[in-house]
Amino acid sequence: MTRTATPSAADGTFDKADSPGIGAGRPGFLWAAPAAVFFALFAIVPLIMVAVLSFARWDGLSSPEFAGLDNWKLLFDDPVMIKSLWLSVLLTVLGVLVQTPLSILLGVWAAGHQRNRAVLSAIYFVPMLLSVAAVSVLWRAVLDPNFGVPAQATWLFGDGNLFGTQAGAIGVLVFVSTWQFTPLHTLIYQGAARAVPQVLYQAAQIDGAGTVRQFVHITLPQLRNSIITSMILMVVGGLTTFDTVLILTQGGPGSDTTISAYYMYQKAFKSFDYGSASAIALLLVLVSTLISLIVVRLSGYDKMRSTMEGL
Amino acid sequence: MKQRTRFSRTVVGGAALSLMLSLSGCGAGSDAADGDTIHVLVYGDAANKVEKELVATFNETSKVKAVLDTIPGADYQAKLQTIINSKQAPDVFFNWGGGSIKPFVDAGLLLPLDPFIAKDPGLKAKFLPSVFNSAVVDGTSYGIPMRGTQPVLLFNNGKVLKDAGVEPPETWGDLLAAVEALKADGVTPIALGGGDRWPTLMWFEYLYDRIAGPELFRKALDGDREAWASPDSRKALGKIKELVDAGAFGTNYDSVKFTDQGSPTLLATGKAAFELMGSWEYSTQQDAHPDFAKSDLGYSAFPSVEGGKGDRANLVGNTNNFYSVLKKTKHPQAVAEFLKLMYSDQFVKAQLGIGNLPTTTNTERFLDTAASPEFAKFQYDMVKAAPAFQLSWDQAYPQSAATPMYQALQQFFNGSMDEDAFIEAMRALPAS
Amino acid sequence: MRRRRPNYFAGFGSLVWLLVVGLPLYVMLIATFQSRPDYAANGPLAFPGHFTLDNYIKDLNSGFAQYFLNTVVVTVCVVGIVVLLVPPLAYTIVRSRGRVTTTVFRLFLLGLAIPSQAVIVPMFFVISEAGLYDNLIGVILPTAAFAMPVCALILTGVMRDITPDLYEAMTMDGASPRRIFFRLVLPLSRSGISTIVVFSALQAWNGFLFPLVLTQSAETKVITLGLYDFQTEHGVDTPGLLAAVVLSMLPVLIVYLFARRALVQGLMGVGGK
Repeated sequence: MTRTATPSAADGTFDKADSPGIGAGRPGFLWAAPAAVFFALFAIVPLIMVAVLSFARWDGLSSPEFAGLDNWKLLFDDPVMIKSLWLSVLLTVLGVLVQTPLSILLGVWAAGHQRNRAVLSAIYFVPMLLSVAAVSVLWRAVLDPNFGVPAQATWLFGDGNLFGTQAGAIGVLVFVSTWQFTPLHTLIYQGAARAVPQVLYQAAQIDGAGTVRQFVHITLPQLRNSIITSMILMVVGGLTTFDTVLILTQGGPGSDTTISAYYMYQKAFKSFDYGSASAIALLLVLVSTLISLIVVRLSGYDKMRSTMEGL
Repeated sequence: MKQRTRFSRTVVGGAALSLMLSLSGCGAGSDAADGDTIHVLVYGDAANKVEKELVATFNETSKVKAVLDTIPGADYQAKLQTIINSKQAPDVFFNWGGGSIKPFVDAGLLLPLDPFIAKDPGLKAKFLPSVFNSAVVDGTSYGIPMRGTQPVLLFNNGKVLKDAGVEPPETWGDLLAAVEALKADGVTPIALGGGDRWPTLMWFEYLYDRIAGPELFRKALDGDREAWASPDSRKALGKIKELVDAGAFGTNYDSVKFTDQGSPTLLATGKAAFELMGSWEYSTQQDAHPDFAKSDLGYSAFPSVEGGKGDRANLVGNTNNFYSVLKKTKHPQAVAEFLKLMYSDQFVKAQLGIGNLPTTTNTERFLDTAASPEFAKFQYDMVKAAPAFQLSWDQAYPQSAATPMYQALQQFFNGSMDEDAFIEAMRALPAS
Repeated sequence: MRRRRPNYFAGFGSLVWLLVVGLPLYVMLIATFQSRPDYAANGPLAFPGHFTLDNYIKDLNSGFAQYFLNTVVVTVCVVGIVVLLVPPLAYTIVRSRGRVTTTVFRLFLLGLAIPSQAVIVPMFFVISEAGLYDNLIGVILPTAAFAMPVCALILTGVMRDITPDLYEAMTMDGASPRRIFFRLVLPLSRSGISTIVVFSALQAWNGFLFPLVLTQSAETKVITLGLYDFQTEHGVDTPGLLAAVVLSMLPVLIVYLFARRALVQGLMGVGGK
């Protein structure tokens, strides 16, 4: 570090000395090693252990025993597990369906440079500043049937039994995630909408296209990449929702909001069945890898292509 | 170019510096060498005050020093099981006896306390037997009672009852009549924190006891799964349905919680008339609604059910909390000394002072010094006279049964599961 | 800019959303300035007649100051690790032609798909065996590791946009990889680095599961856990709880007020271009 801090002639000579002909100026693997080792240690090694544990019977007290495929068989015979998969998918799909149009509209709207839009956007951003735990705690208090908003607005909430019915509890989970994460997605779309070349709109106006047509035929297609990025975030986020469920519904009523990620936590830290928990965990990893791969393929990220090269 | 270099330097230097600073900062927090200490792990809540005093008293005279560790309530059980077989395991830990320590006994982690008792008979003789036996597993003692007993009682708002012309119910019939009268008065008859699930469980525990007697649950727990399908079991379920369908709990009970003060506030503000809750309701109300606790908070035993086999004097709830000891403790002698404090006058008085009710034989002498003498005496007499005191089902069963049990209870209660499905779910629970 | 007539539909929609965003924030704020009985009596929407700061004072005295400090330590450490390790990694991914590097990149892409819940069980045993249980370092290390994939992705995206001509010019001059990294790559990736700072800081600040499983005592508690415990402890009061929520967001709010542009730009960067 001291050397880079003093850029001198000597520096240059040294550099020349260690750059042999071909591949000159390209970094070797050692540059990536610290990050790779660190990441492997805390993510890949535990992942391998999860895979091993998913074939074991273990309660954390005695030593693990090999259990073959038992955990996996039980998993697919377990009605709560099957239900939890559907719930994960349902929650994720609902989240995408609600948040995507909302944040596209808000993002495109906020991309305008009017003053009032800037002020409102600043306020819209606030939920983003709160942690998931804080947001969940806040909504639990706001939605309390007797001492929260529902008691004051019975015309809207009826008896306020939001956490006591499946529809209510799922609605709350989707709504709270939307409330918290829409600002992030709005930002993504806002940035993308500002990058749309103005010439396109000018051309469309000459053709006499109205606001709606411009939105559908110019803005939306131009946002394609952002929609993909935003969706992958929503899907992975949705599949791994945990804090919200733990704090707001604890998987209830009954098992009506026990999504897979939460069921895994229950199996591990409530029932101490680490084997089954690991099987669910591995399943989660497989599903989200699959989704990521599909999206990466779609977006061409694996081509290692610079966005500049396209120009 | 010059400016760019400065930027690079700032980034790298700043990052490295902050990393070093903060890592050394965190390092300072790590444990010092644990030479001659015993770690005492307790459930983190308001009662820790007394435990701190106790540890201080112990450390005054003992060469081996006790260190008090706490884990906040909701996560206690989960955390305990994850650390109990690791390096971080404590020497002595808080538990509820019964199923809460059974897996540890099975795994051979706990120290049998009979040798301690042989040396100091007071460790057994100074406690009420019905309570002490909750921590006896397969004929061997594994726990010494600590803190206090927590029976479940039917609390009420006296003012609301008076306005509706209702008395605390003696029988099931009284309760149903009270529900009708209170509904006519526009009050939710019974506050229930269904969102927490364990308050719902209390209704099951008492109705099964009153209708089938304490034996049915004991049989089921011992592995006779057919007990859940017996006529008495169906009768109890029928009574629960009857009460729910009568609108006794209103409609939004599953969105209400006890733990966030929802149901206690309903009771205190007169929006509800009854709440079935552990004896800690009293200190909760004293803390949150002191005026109400003083003037209008009433309590009574759970009503009897006409034609039922259970005695009205039977209790359910947390029989007591216990300290158990890990086999691998390096200082069993010091631990034995520590446990003796559990029946000391000082400890009993301190517990009474914060509203707990220790179940030692000397408790009676100090009942007058309790935070609320009248309530303490009422409870103590009940516990002493109770023919049976059933440990809460979620504590009697092994931990792994809790989640499916809660799910079944909640779904039967709110009508999304029928009687047969509920019985099936209970039969499928992993027995002890 | 396009000329258009005022868009009433958008105006109305934006106000509805303002209500959705603002109402809970309003409820939260006014609740924190009321005593518990007042809040219960007035309901969540009424403007308080009597203001008090007791809730905040009570929270700060009940350990929140410590939780705060812990969260700050975790956040600073995580950001430090990420900023130290990820830029060289991204640089290698973009510039190296080796097969190993490609494998490493694939590994990190896979990392994107590993939810932190999935590894929590072995993580507990790894941290516990390393003697880091109930120690902030034990929270920092996995949190940083799990922030790395997204950060690597963001930064490689930015570094790829540096024109190859610039690299070649420097290589012609005989610059070593090290020199190119410090003189060319880092300065031109400023926006990307602020993005990963913002992103990893938010990850650390909001972290919940790792602290939940890997710590237990009050000395190592972070704010998110403080909020969770606050809610599950017997005898919680809503105004006090909400005051704690407000306290937990204050530092982020201050950063937001003073560095709104950088923060917003940083988060826009998460979406790529």
